[in-house]
Amino acid sequence: MTMNAVIPTDVSVAEEAPFRPNRVPVGSPAYNQIAEFLYEEAWLLDEIRLKDWVARLDIDLRYTCPVRQTRSLAQNAQSIVRTVMHFDETYASIRGRVGRITDTKSAWAEDPPSRTRRLVTNILVESTEDPDEFEVKSYLLCSRSRFEETTLLMLSCVRNDLLRRHGASFKLARREIIVDQTVLGFPNLAIFL
Amino acid sequence: MLDRTRTTLSDGTTIDDLINVQTREVQLRAISDPELYDIEMRKVFGKTWLLLGHESEIPASGDFITRLMGSDPVLITRQKDETIKVMLNVCPHRGMRVCVNDAGNAKVHTCIYHGWAFKNDGDFIGAPVAGEQMHGTILPKEKLGLTQARVHIYGGLIFATWNFEGPSFDEFLGEMKWYYDMLFCRTDNGLEVLGPPQRFTIKANWKTACEQSASDGFHTLTLHRWLGEFAKFGDGDLTTSMYGTEVSSLQGHSLRCMPVANKFKQAKDFRDGNLTIAEKLAIVPPPGITKEMLPELVRNLTPEQLGLLVDSPPQVGGMFPNVLIAFIYVPQPDGEIIGLTSLHTYIPKGPDELEFCNYILAEKDAPEEHKQKALQFAVRMLGTSGMVEQDDSDTWPHITQTAKGAAARNITMKYQAVCTTPPRPDWPGPALVYEGFTKDDTQWNWWLAYRDLMNAPA
Repeated sequence: MTMNAVIPTDVSVAEEAPFRPNRVPVGSPAYNQIAEFLYEEAWLLDEIRLKDWVARLDIDLRYTCPVRQTRSLAQNAQSIVRTVMHFDETYASIRGRVGRITDTKSAWAEDPPSRTRRLVTNILVESTEDPDEFEVKSYLLCSRSRFEETTLLMLSCVRNDLLRRHGASFKLARREIIVDQTVLGFPNLAIFL
Repeated sequence: MLDRTRTTLSDGTTIDDLINVQTREVQLRAISDPELYDIEMRKVFGKTWLLLGHESEIPASGDFITRLMGSDPVLITRQKDETIKVMLNVCPHRGMRVCVNDAGNAKVHTCIYHGWAFKNDGDFIGAPVAGEQMHGTILPKEKLGLTQARVHIYGGLIFATWNFEGPSFDEFLGEMKWYYDMLFCRTDNGLEVLGPPQRFTIKANWKTACEQSASDGFHTLTLHRWLGEFAKFGDGDLTTSMYGTEVSSLQGHSLRCMPVANKFKQAKDFRDGNLTIAEKLAIVPPPGITKEMLPELVRNLTPEQLGLLVDSPPQVGGMFPNVLIAFIYVPQPDGEIIGLTSLHTYIPKGPDELEFCNYILAEKDAPEEHKQKALQFAVRMLGTSGMVEQDDSDTWPHITQTAKGAAARNITMKYQAVCTTPPRPDWPGPALVYEGFTKDDTQWNWWLAYRDLMNAPA
């Protein structure tokens, strides 16, 4: 038999969205406000100011984190799985999660709390048909330290957000967290990304 | 002294030194010892039946998934004739992992290292440059296929073992099969996975998670105290919900059956004996079952099984060596009760690490809306971000670490809470039955099963 019969060579390239959509330029006033929102959000979560964080979520929130799988290049689009996910949350369920941590004395997964550092970079903003809504991509590198561990646990992801203008600031209306690991190196997702 | 029936560590310690049957104690050292781990890979994970997934993950011919059997990577494929094969995902040429993807569809699996190719049943097709005899002439082609495992499909769940001479799957389940059938074989079309499993790692020895899975009830009261404190399970008092019946076997399997009347006010009349099974089913259907599916239960279960499933369904438990079973009720504000079905496997990744693999399932015949609700609640309660299980993942690493101390390694884990209540005379099922408040018997049986395998001749 020939090699070609064994190894398929017809790697098809899927249709992709345009590379430069309606970009809000880096450094523009709207961009800066959004970057500041994301930096503040990271600070609130790292400081475990969870109720302040919830105040920045919109009530129609969809907050998800698909499972990843290792797939061949040809099937790479299927590496993101949106059936079983790591997070599948609404505003109400996020409030439930936060309430467990803030209103009980037995949320042991975060008591004592993790020391986290959320590094937010590579922020790209797109305008949408609604002038008050922005599609925002950001890279997140979240390091986490628990107890006496000297090796930081790391999780890297891209977040696809929908931010909605509320007065002088924004609220998070949608977040999809695309993690880079198929097997998460975190022992749980008791923290938010 | 080394004899074939005992496992002896290099310092002379035997399995029987580590597990004291008389006092029901296990030396903490057993949790972390790397030498012991190596023996476990051969004597436990190399010998017993292991859960690898569900056939609904590979519905079509050519579909495949890759998983781990202990430390061994395996390739699980759907054949043209719809049967399922499980084979070592290791190229017989130079040991490369043949398939490096988690899932997909392929007629042929080709090793990327030297190009050896295998049919999806594992048969060797050929190596490149066939004219030059790359695979040589010393061994016939029939001997160059992927190593096959022994496979058994039970309720759609894919099990496999390397032990062709060992017990059949039914013998492995033993008397506990009567109970597992109530969960996995109760509807016409059975369960299906709602997606691929969640996977994450915990820096803990696999046995910490697995002995807990053998129906440890006590930890619920402290580690999961928020369930009463915040979620108001058991009207805030978790203790009352820990009364029930635990069933177990010396194969190390177990289930905790919990009376519905203890849990839900809708079921308060279940005790007085005036309600028929059909009436009870209509009030509180078993986890994962909708009212429309009740006739299927009647068709598939015996009246005794059905009666127990209605009054005192299995809610949590384990299957030896590394499976946790969860069939959990989640009452909704509108009175509806959503049933969560989830299976975890705890896969050993070295003496200090395990991979938590969480499958979320639902009855195939359940309406789509019910499945989606069950899926969302399962994600919120169990697995990676699950509010119940995120607490467990902090205890297991601490135990794994403390087990290394010069002093701590010699202390013992104690399984001395022994059930003394006689089984209810009307208990309809087989196996070992432990009545009353949750005790340590089922976890102790897990250790006895472990001890048996570890002491068996290699």
